[in-house]
Amino acid sequence: MTQAIQTHQSQPLLTGLKDALPLMGGYIPVAISFGLISLQSGFSVLETILISTLVYAGASQFLFVAMVASGAPMWLVVVMTLLINARHVVYGPNLAPYMTKSPWWLALMHGLTDQIFALAHTRLPQLNEKQRICWFTGASLLAWMSWVGGTALGAIAGGELINQWPLLADVLPFALPALFLVLLAPKFNTKIWALTLGCTTLIALIIKLQGFSNAAIPVAALIGTLLFYVVKNQAKWSK
Amino acid sequence: MINTLWLAIIAIALGTYLMRALPLVWMTRKLDKNKSNTTEEMPIWLTVLGPAMIAAMFGTSLIPSSQSITTWLATALGALVTAGIWYWKRSLGLPVLIGVMIYGISIYFARLYPIY
Repeated sequence: MTQAIQTHQSQPLLTGLKDALPLMGGYIPVAISFGLISLQSGFSVLETILISTLVYAGASQFLFVAMVASGAPMWLVVVMTLLINARHVVYGPNLAPYMTKSPWWLALMHGLTDQIFALAHTRLPQLNEKQRICWFTGASLLAWMSWVGGTALGAIAGGELINQWPLLADVLPFALPALFLVLLAPKFNTKIWALTLGCTTLIALIIKLQGFSNAAIPVAALIGTLLFYVVKNQAKWSK
Repeated sequence: MINTLWLAIIAIALGTYLMRALPLVWMTRKLDKNKSNTTEEMPIWLTVLGPAMIAAMFGTSLIPSSQSITTWLATALGALVTAGIWYWKRSLGLPVLIGVMIYGISIYFARLYPIY
């Protein structure tokens, strides 16, 4: 991994773009389906694209259009979508030690999605200080463009695309779990981390299979964090 | 109705942005105050919660959108190959690319020769 970074050290923006390529595989098909569903829910093409551009948070956008279409009160729609997005609050502080003193970081935080966080959490510590902002700009811009572009494609020509390439729509989303796997793999080097992350993965999977899609990520992550503390304290006591 | 809708969109967009940006400002100030720039200054729960969120996202993303024995087997095979290539190459892009290809090939062949 370090080797790959050294090869592109002079072009951190390009490295960022390259690192975010696997994200496109996950973002574009999901964005296309968002475009399609949003239009079916009664939103216009422009409204659909603007939602993706401004809100830029997958799960909450799906919930937003579904709730608006079902006629839910607007205050409830706002509260529910913000609740889903509340998980984002832990991302910034985790990246803070690797950020330089540039006001641009604040603007770039619009692009701090789940996947960009996961990518940055692995990559930023490997880059030197000067390269970090360029890397983050490249990676987050490509991801944002993929999401907005995919939404536009879905809103304008989604139905036709899915009809012509049904396999592609099924296969490309696998890029997301594959990317998460590669980002987590280096952490499995100690027993405590392997146990924490392994259990968290399994718990999240089970919770989502039970039908609680939105609770799965925060609840599993909280249980995993508690487990980490329990194992750590037990190791202390047994010494 | 249209105005309410746009107000809601703006409130969600702004709220989401603030949830992404404000905690960063808080943590940066905390690090500055202690004149430190290392993860040691961060509360332990925060350093664990970050990777735990990634693990949770990994868990939920493993569930295929259309669930069947085929898609679950393809997911397991794709994940194993991705992990294997990562172990061999220790890079980001190649394991993902080959993992997706193996997943795609498995789905393709399973549809050509369904096992019933």
